[in-house]
Amino acid sequence: MSIYAGPVQDLIDELGRLPGVGPKSAQRIAFYLLKASKEDALRLSRSIVEVKDRISFCRRCFNVAEGETCSMCSDGRRDPSIVCVVEEPRDIVAVEKTGEYSGLYHVLQGAISPIEGIGPEQLRIRELLARIETESVTEVILCTNPNLEGEATAMYLARMLTPLGVKVTRIASGLPVGGDLEYADELTLGRALEGRRQVDV
Amino acid sequence: MRLDHLWLTDFRNYTMAELAPDPDGLTVIRGTNGQGKTNLLEAVSYLATLESFRGAPREALVRRGSERAVVRAEASRDGRSLLLEAELPLNGRDRYLLNRQPLRRGRDLLGALRVSIFAPEDLHLVQAGPAGRRDLLDGALVALHPRNDALRSDLERVLRQRGALLRQCDGRLDTDAESTLDVWDSKLDELGSRWADLREEVTGSLGPLVSDYFAELTSAPAHLSLTYRRSWEGRLADALLASRREDVRRGVTTIGPHRDELDIQLAEMPARTHASQGEQRGVALALRLGVHSLVGTVVGSAPVLLLDDVFSELDPARSAALIRLLPPGQSLLTTAGPLPDGPVPALVVSVGAGEVRAA
Repeated sequence: MSIYAGPVQDLIDELGRLPGVGPKSAQRIAFYLLKASKEDALRLSRSIVEVKDRISFCRRCFNVAEGETCSMCSDGRRDPSIVCVVEEPRDIVAVEKTGEYSGLYHVLQGAISPIEGIGPEQLRIRELLARIETESVTEVILCTNPNLEGEATAMYLARMLTPLGVKVTRIASGLPVGGDLEYADELTLGRALEGRRQVDV
Repeated sequence: MRLDHLWLTDFRNYTMAELAPDPDGLTVIRGTNGQGKTNLLEAVSYLATLESFRGAPREALVRRGSERAVVRAEASRDGRSLLLEAELPLNGRDRYLLNRQPLRRGRDLLGALRVSIFAPEDLHLVQAGPAGRRDLLDGALVALHPRNDALRSDLERVLRQRGALLRQCDGRLDTDAESTLDVWDSKLDELGSRWADLREEVTGSLGPLVSDYFAELTSAPAHLSLTYRRSWEGRLADALLASRREDVRRGVTTIGPHRDELDIQLAEMPARTHASQGEQRGVALALRLGVHSLVGTVVGSAPVLLLDDVFSELDPARSAALIRLLPPGQSLLTTAGPLPDGPVPALVVSVGAGEVRAA
């Protein structure tokens, strides 16, 4: 298989392990780096080392953090009685962009998917349950993806959380705002119809 | 649903070919064996399903010595004219265009042209295991309602997830695995029960249609009946709980819609084991025609009916009966032999030496 000199092939293999990078892209990036100036390549390698050295996961919510706790958990203005449970740190960014939420977060670091070998024990679920027991949380919003694995994870969490006497809610699924009905896919539109509400006048 | 015009470039044995079938009657494609009659049907169905109904690999679809095949068709749906194009490169992914607009996903082409296909291999519907019969019902459900496609793929995924979990259990069930299994069971209960209900419902609608077609297509007085048989009794959730230990021990989901069966009975005996080869052919054809006519009635516009080499399955009297019985709408039929007596097709074309000509 390997047709390139050892270190080049090693680089291609390493790059190929990154998400979204196939063998062809890995080869392209490797040759770009070979041609790039040494400073450029060193800067890249330094940022990788730095991110691994300085950034870790928040001890409380497992968001990315510079230090022990993340910027969300250390922000005293946020409401500690609501916890929004997401799959990945990048989901926090999406929720934050709405400007509609000012509570805290909990990052599971994945969703239950036996096919990929991920069960509840691989996720930060034990830590979430511990938080509910020790912190004064009144509501948990299940904000996992609206796909099969996300739904299953939400259902699992609901079953674990409800006995703890906390209010458990699930984000609604429906239509994108500002869109046209005719462009909505039938599944989303079907869900939106199922979840319809009475209009308050 | 109507196919107005078909153009092929470097598809199978055709360098260039075109076909303009009769708009709402029967078009017969004649020619000796190996001339490419079926290839025309395959091209039409490729635009409808984005795959070869013969399961042919890419190299077989692109004419030898060529880099890419192009299949283009003009179709009408609800009085609207559509131009469908598929470009099949020898290497790499297909490109699809609808009304000259490139489509991002192949899925977006689905539904623009719909077909029902009957091919000689459909005999396996009766002779082989239950998977083919379940597929027949599932195909009908998706054709009847596009939303069912998403439901089916969710169900398949739940089954894969549950199967993976069961294998990981390795024969033992601890409390952690148990509570995860609870979640997948509840998903499987929800989706699986709904899917089995839908299959049972569609079996109920198909029964009389298939039975009528069968009676007309064969001289046998035997009564044909269809019954959907679930692999469990009562609520699926309860049945899953009851079979949990067995599932864990064997590492597979032993009950559910993926284990159900469509029973075909002929004179109250299973058609799979008790019917003659001729009767089984009749059953297979009746099943396809039943689905086709149900979809046509419910959706309001019938798919284009493609019948590959169907006369070789039937005696002359039954062949004539088939032409007489064809549901209203456009049909394309291939045959190597002579046309049966009786009703005259609206159009006959002949295929030979890589060309399609008016006969």
